[in-house]
Amino acid sequence: MSNLLPNFFTSWFYESNRAERIWMMAKIEFKLRYYENKLGLMWALIKPVSQILMYYVVFQVLMNQQVENYVIYLFAGLLLWMFFTECTSGTVKILQTKKYLYEYTNMHKLEIYIASILSSVIGLVFNLMIFLIGAWVSGIYPSFHYVFFIFIFINLFVLSFGVSLILSNLFLLFKDIMQIWNIVVGFGFFLSPILYRGDLFSEKLRFLDYLNPISGIINNARNVLMFQANPDWQMLLFDIGYASLILIIGLMLLKRISPRASELL
Amino acid sequence: MSEKALILKNVSKTFYINDKKVDTFKERLFNSMSNRNSRSFKAVENISLEIERGENFGVIGRNGSGKSTLVKLMSGAFVPDMGGEIQKNGTSMLLNLGVGMSHELTARQNVYVSGSALGLKIKEIEQLFDKIIEFAELEDFVDSKVKYFSSGMIQRLSFAIATNAGADIMFLDEVFAVGDAKFKKKAIDVMEKSWIDGRTIIMVSHSLTNISKYCKRAVYLKKGKVAYLGDAKEAIKLYNEDNAN
Repeated sequence: MSNLLPNFFTSWFYESNRAERIWMMAKIEFKLRYYENKLGLMWALIKPVSQILMYYVVFQVLMNQQVENYVIYLFAGLLLWMFFTECTSGTVKILQTKKYLYEYTNMHKLEIYIASILSSVIGLVFNLMIFLIGAWVSGIYPSFHYVFFIFIFINLFVLSFGVSLILSNLFLLFKDIMQIWNIVVGFGFFLSPILYRGDLFSEKLRFLDYLNPISGIINNARNVLMFQANPDWQMLLFDIGYASLILIIGLMLLKRISPRASELL
Repeated sequence: MSEKALILKNVSKTFYINDKKVDTFKERLFNSMSNRNSRSFKAVENISLEIERGENFGVIGRNGSGKSTLVKLMSGAFVPDMGGEIQKNGTSMLLNLGVGMSHELTARQNVYVSGSALGLKIKEIEQLFDKIIEFAELEDFVDSKVKYFSSGMIQRLSFAIATNAGADIMFLDEVFAVGDAKFKKKAIDVMEKSWIDGRTIIMVSHSLTNISKYCKRAVYLKKGKVAYLGDAKEAIKLYNEDNAN
């Protein structure tokens, strides 16, 4: 484990079968998650749709929030939020459930993480397609701003990856981290502009935009996917910095704690 | 040319045993001051040895003498205590009764994942696939989940993957304990053949006949320390003498 970072990254993907292995594991995990039951891939859709229905009734019909295209608006927020929670809550115990992969062979632990997050990406892409179709039907037509979504996606990926690394490594030391994280996620859902208008949210609780890295990501995603606007570059840059910092902390924890995973579990 | 497959220098492993288990955030918060319950236990102490490439090396000793810990240290599952150093050249695979397989995946998926982890490309696994399944005698259960398998079936599958996919270094921790007589014979046949390929094998076994038959050199562990390192026959002789008393 004395790899220096630069030669670590260059040598990493060059090992001939690593990329195809990660992709294969991601596909297997995706299948495991959705094809276990008769409804199959429909589950990937039923989850957000049922939530959208519920929130629509509560927030648009009952509380009469004045948001145009509220269903699409909700969908955009939920899509990214669910990806984030799936990547983080879903991987807290990854070093335990995937122990067989690194203990018996020399598979690098990072591969296991990347494969797991990639499997969530497959679900995200699927939902995103449904979203774009839905947006089109609602009269929101594609624009070149879609291109900027790449940056927002990278931002979200890095953030989810980092948080996943931190949580799963802390799990080795604190077995109740899952309960703690569930509370954080519960708060996070209401402290992110998922259900309500992002602009109102930012006006009143500006500091939360900076504290909560998801909030900027959701606002920017709506800018480019719904409002045909540019992302808030300052916010995007800040969030990418934020996510990178979290990823670096996660990688440091991985290097420090995870070699002892076998004995701690 | 004698390349080293494994070099161990001053390797020790200490486990800390807490009579009161402290591994949640809450407990750490409240119990951090009172660490009086912690006991340390040296499972393996100060071991230095070198294993040549292509060598068959035996590890013997009584229960609790540190055999499995030593093998886990060699394979990289455990990290040695400060000051110890382990160098491993090549890919390795650990085969033991725990078996490195996901119980949620099917036999087919496990073959692909394990094969790939051992360095094979997917195309190569496709070519080997039938051979592996046939060797494991699992033709009828290819797409069943491993969790429904008997322990013998799982053992056969992982053995079949290991011998066909082939890591450079194989750690065999009591692998002969499972499997019926017929499979055992087949496994031994393959192992005898695969030795010619210059694969390094580290074998842990209570079966002294196996050790003396296959290994030239062996280490005899006694309470985590090296009691003897060298000729396998000599190691077995010492082990038998110790146990006679």
